[in-house]
Amino acid sequence: MKIGLEVHVALPTRSKLFCSCSTEGAEPNSSICPICMGFPGSKPMLNKGAVEAAMGIANALHCPINKRISFVRKVYFYPDLPKSYQITQMEGAVGSKGHLAIGEKRIRIRRVQIEEDPAQIIRDGALTLIDFNRSGTPLVEIVTEPDISSEEEMRSFISGLRSMLYYLGVDINKEIKADVNISLAETRVEVKNVTGIKNMIETLRFEIERQTELIKNNEEIARETRGYNEKSRSTQTLREKESDEEYGYVFEPDLTAFDIAGLEFNEPVYANEVAIELAKGTDVSPRTVSEIIMLDKDSLRQIERLRNRHSLRSIIHGIERYKKYGSMGSVPDKVLDNIVLLIEEGKEVSKEVIADLESGKTVKVEYSQLSDAQLGELINRYLEENPKLVREYAKQPKTINLIIENIARGNGLHPKEVARKLVPIIGRFAEGK
Amino acid sequence: MTSYIEEFNGIEKQKDYYDNLFAQLERANEEHHAFNLINKDAKGGFLLSTKANICVRGFETDAGSKMLKGYVPSFNATAVERIISDKRFAFAGVTGMDEFGFGTFGTNTEVPARNAFDREYAAGGSSSGAAVAAALMKYQVSIAESTGGSIAAPASLNGVVGFTPTYGTVSRYGLIDYANSLDKIGVMARSSDDARIVFDMIRGIDDYDTTCAVEKITLERRKKIFVINGMLEKADSGIRAAFEKLLNKLGSRYEIVHVDSSIMEKAIAPYYIIAMAEASTNLAKYTGYKYGLMSEDFYKQYNEFFTDARESFGIEAKRRILLGTFIRSESVKDKYYTKALVIRRMLIKEMDRMLKEGYILSPTLPIKAPKIADVKKLSPVESYSMDLFTIPPNLGGFPHVSFPYDYVDGMPLGAQLVTGHGNDYAILDFVKEWEEGFEYVYRKNLGEL
Amino acid sequence: MQDKEFDRLLKITRLRVSAEERVQIKSDFEQVIAYFDEISSLEADGEPAYHPVEIPGRLREDKVKPFADSESLKKRAKTSNGYIVGPKL
Repeated sequence: MKIGLEVHVALPTRSKLFCSCSTEGAEPNSSICPICMGFPGSKPMLNKGAVEAAMGIANALHCPINKRISFVRKVYFYPDLPKSYQITQMEGAVGSKGHLAIGEKRIRIRRVQIEEDPAQIIRDGALTLIDFNRSGTPLVEIVTEPDISSEEEMRSFISGLRSMLYYLGVDINKEIKADVNISLAETRVEVKNVTGIKNMIETLRFEIERQTELIKNNEEIARETRGYNEKSRSTQTLREKESDEEYGYVFEPDLTAFDIAGLEFNEPVYANEVAIELAKGTDVSPRTVSEIIMLDKDSLRQIERLRNRHSLRSIIHGIERYKKYGSMGSVPDKVLDNIVLLIEEGKEVSKEVIADLESGKTVKVEYSQLSDAQLGELINRYLEENPKLVREYAKQPKTINLIIENIARGNGLHPKEVARKLVPIIGRFAEGK
Repeated sequence: MTSYIEEFNGIEKQKDYYDNLFAQLERANEEHHAFNLINKDAKGGFLLSTKANICVRGFETDAGSKMLKGYVPSFNATAVERIISDKRFAFAGVTGMDEFGFGTFGTNTEVPARNAFDREYAAGGSSSGAAVAAALMKYQVSIAESTGGSIAAPASLNGVVGFTPTYGTVSRYGLIDYANSLDKIGVMARSSDDARIVFDMIRGIDDYDTTCAVEKITLERRKKIFVINGMLEKADSGIRAAFEKLLNKLGSRYEIVHVDSSIMEKAIAPYYIIAMAEASTNLAKYTGYKYGLMSEDFYKQYNEFFTDARESFGIEAKRRILLGTFIRSESVKDKYYTKALVIRRMLIKEMDRMLKEGYILSPTLPIKAPKIADVKKLSPVESYSMDLFTIPPNLGGFPHVSFPYDYVDGMPLGAQLVTGHGNDYAILDFVKEWEEGFEYVYRKNLGEL
Repeated sequence: MQDKEFDRLLKITRLRVSAEERVQIKSDFEQVIAYFDEISSLEADGEPAYHPVEIPGRLREDKVKPFADSESLKKRAKTSNGYIVGPKL
C-alpha cells in the first residue's frame, strides 16, 4: 500500500498572504478588501512573513530552499474562490525534495509550497453563504511522496509534523487538512480535503476496505478524486473533477520571481529526537518524554532548566502533577521547583499543596548543598552567559541582588550562600576578568 | 508648441466656463460616444479623463463590458490617486473602450466611440473614447491603457499624441486586467509636453503593484532611425507614400537605416498567445454574484449560475477566453504559451540591440482610418494583423509614442516611435522637436479660451 | 475542431454560445489556431520571459492595515447576516 499526503497548514501571520487584511476576522466578511475579494483592478502583494514561515517549514523538512520562488494561477470555478483562480506554486515552490523521519524511516517530501486559502462556505438550507474573512489566508501545502505504508506510519507522520509545526510557532489548533492519496494496486485514488487526523484514519480504513473488495472481485479501481463524508464515514466520488489539463497553470503575471536567499526563519525542534537525548542515561523512556514535550514547549523548557539538579523522573512527575491539579496553563518556575523538591523528598503533592504553592506560600524548601568548587563553577557559568547583567552591575551595583536571586532560584540554593561566593567572582568579571 | 496644461492654468476663466464646456461636451458626446460618463461636478482644474478599465472611486468602471455594468470601485487606481490629489486637475469622466481592451478599432463594445474627425470612421481601440476625448477638447488629457497597441492605434486615428511608457513604470493597481504582463497605463494628449507632465505625476514605484518596478527614466537621444523593411511592405500604398515623405523630412536630422527583422515581423502570433492565455485567467473571475452584473437565481447550481452570468460577455471576449484556455491546456501549453514567452525574450534581445543605437519608426497602423461598417467585416485574424506595428514594442514592454505627422483626405495619420526600456523621455523629446515644425489640426476645440 | 473538444472548452470556461455564435467562433477558432501554429516554424531557445523587464520582487511587511471601506464591497451582493450569498453547491 502506498499513501501520499498533501497537507495544508495555515501560516502564523498577522496579515493575509497578498493583502494587509487581518487573518483574524470576527464578524463574517469584516476582514476583507478588494484584493482578497478579487475585485477587478486589485493586485496581490506578497507577505514577507508568510514566506519566512514557509521557509522555516521547508527547512525543517530538510528541503533545500529555492533561491527564487514564483507563483502560478490554478484556474477552476467554485463559489469560494473569488478570482476563479488560486494563486499557488509549482516549480517555483519554496522548497522541494526533503524528508521527515518517523523512527528509522524517512517519508520523502516532494514539495513545500505557499498558496492562498479560499473563502469559507456555510450551507444554510439550500443557500450558500460565503465568508471572505478566510479568503487569502496564507497556507503552506506539504506534498509527500507515496512513502507512507500503514495507518500507524500515517499517524506517526502527522504527529511528528504537528510537533515540528508547533515548535515553529504554527498554530496547530486549527485542524490539519489533507488530501489523502491511496493506492493499493496500480491506480491512485485521491480523497480531497479531509480534516483532522481522526478523519484521515477513517478515510484510509474505508479506502483500504473498498479497494481490497474491488481487487478481490477483479473489478477495476477508477483513478478518481473522492470526498470524505464525516456523517457516513465513507468516501464518495466527487462529481466535478479537474485535472492539470483543465487547471491550465500559467505564471502569475501580477507577481514575479522573488529572491528569498536573504530571508531569515526559525530553526526547527524535532521533539522525538530531543526526547531520545533527554532520556539517555535515565530511567525514563524516550516515549514518555516525547509524549510530554511533543506539543508543549513549556514542559521542554522546564525539563531543560531542571535536569542538572533533579532526576528526569521527578521533573516529569512534577509536571504531570501540576497538569492534573494546577490552575494555570503552564506551571510557574517557582511552583514547579517546590513540587519537584517535595517529590524528591518523597512527600505527597496533593491538589491542596499545589493550590498553596500557587497562592504564593512556599513549602519549607531545603536548599541544595553544593561544594565550594561546584558553586564557583555555577556562578562563573552564569556570569559568562549573562554579560549584560555584568555590565549593568558595573554601572549599578544594586544589580547584584537580581543576580543572586536568579542564581539561587534557578538552582535551589540559599541566597546567602550564593552571595558569599558571588561577590569576589563578579568583581573579577566586572573588571574584565 | 507648449503645454496646454500650463497655458490653461495661466488664463483666467469665466465663471460659467465649466457649465458651458460640459453642455458642449454632452452634445458632442451624443455624436462621438467618447465618454461613458461625464462628471459635470468637475471644476477648477485642467480636465482629466480615465479609460473605463481604470478604477475611480465612486464612478462606474465597466471596462467596456456588460459583465461589469454597475461596478463602482471602492478605491482609486494608483495613477488616478496620484493625479486627482493635485488641485490643478479635475476629473471629467470615464471614456469608452473595446470590451476589456479586446480590439483595434473600438467597435467591440455596445456603443462604440466614433472618430473625432468624422463619425462614420472608427475611433481606433481599444482606448477609443480616450483618444476621441483628447481630440474633441482643447484642454484635456486622457489616462489610457495599452496591451498591444491600444493607446497608439486610437491616438493615430484621432490625431493626438499617444504615449505608452516602459512596462512597469506606472502602477497597474486599479487597472482591470487584460493581460497583466503586457498592460501599461499611459497618456493621450494634444502635446508631448502634456503627456510628459502627466507621466511624471502618475509614474513611480507603488506598494500595491509588484510589477511596478522601473523608477529611473532617461533622456538619451539617438541619431539613427531604423525602419523595418518587411513590416513597412505590409502597409497599404497610401500609408507607405505618406510615411516615405515623413522619412524624407526627418532625413536631414537623422540617419535613416532600413533593416530586416524576422522576429519583429512575426511578433503578432506570440503576442496574441500570451495576451489570450493571461486574459482567459483574468476573465474567469466574472461570475455574477459580488460586483458588476448580478445574477439572481441563487437556487441554481453554481456551474449553471456562472454560465448564465458569463453569457453576457461579448463575442470577442468569448472567443479569447476559449482560445486562451485552449493554448494554456497542459497538453499544448509548451507548444504555444511557453514558446511564445521564449520568443518574447528573443524579440526583446533583438530590439534592445537596435534601440541602443537608434529609434524604430513606423506608421502606427498599416491602413488609413477605416469606416466603422468596414471594420465589422474583418475576420479576427485580419483584425489582429492591423496590430503589426504596435505589437513589437508592446510585447517587449518598450516605450513608444504615436504622433500625428500628416493629414490625408481630411483624416490624420500617426507614426510610432520606439526607444529602449526606461528611455521614455527621449521619444517625448523627439515629438516635442517634431511639434516645433508641424502644427496639429483638430475639428473641434471644445473649451477653447 | 471536433464538437466534443469545443464543448469541453465551453464547459471548463463556463461559457454558453448561441447556435449562431457557435458556428462563427468555431471557424474563427480554427483560423486563429492555424495562425498561432506559425510560431512552430520559429526556432526558439532560451528562457521564457514572463515579463518584458526585470522585476525585483518586493515583499510586503507582515502588518495589518484594514481596508477602510470594507462595507462598500458587499453593497451589490445579496447578503444574509453579514454573509454573501452565492449560488448553490
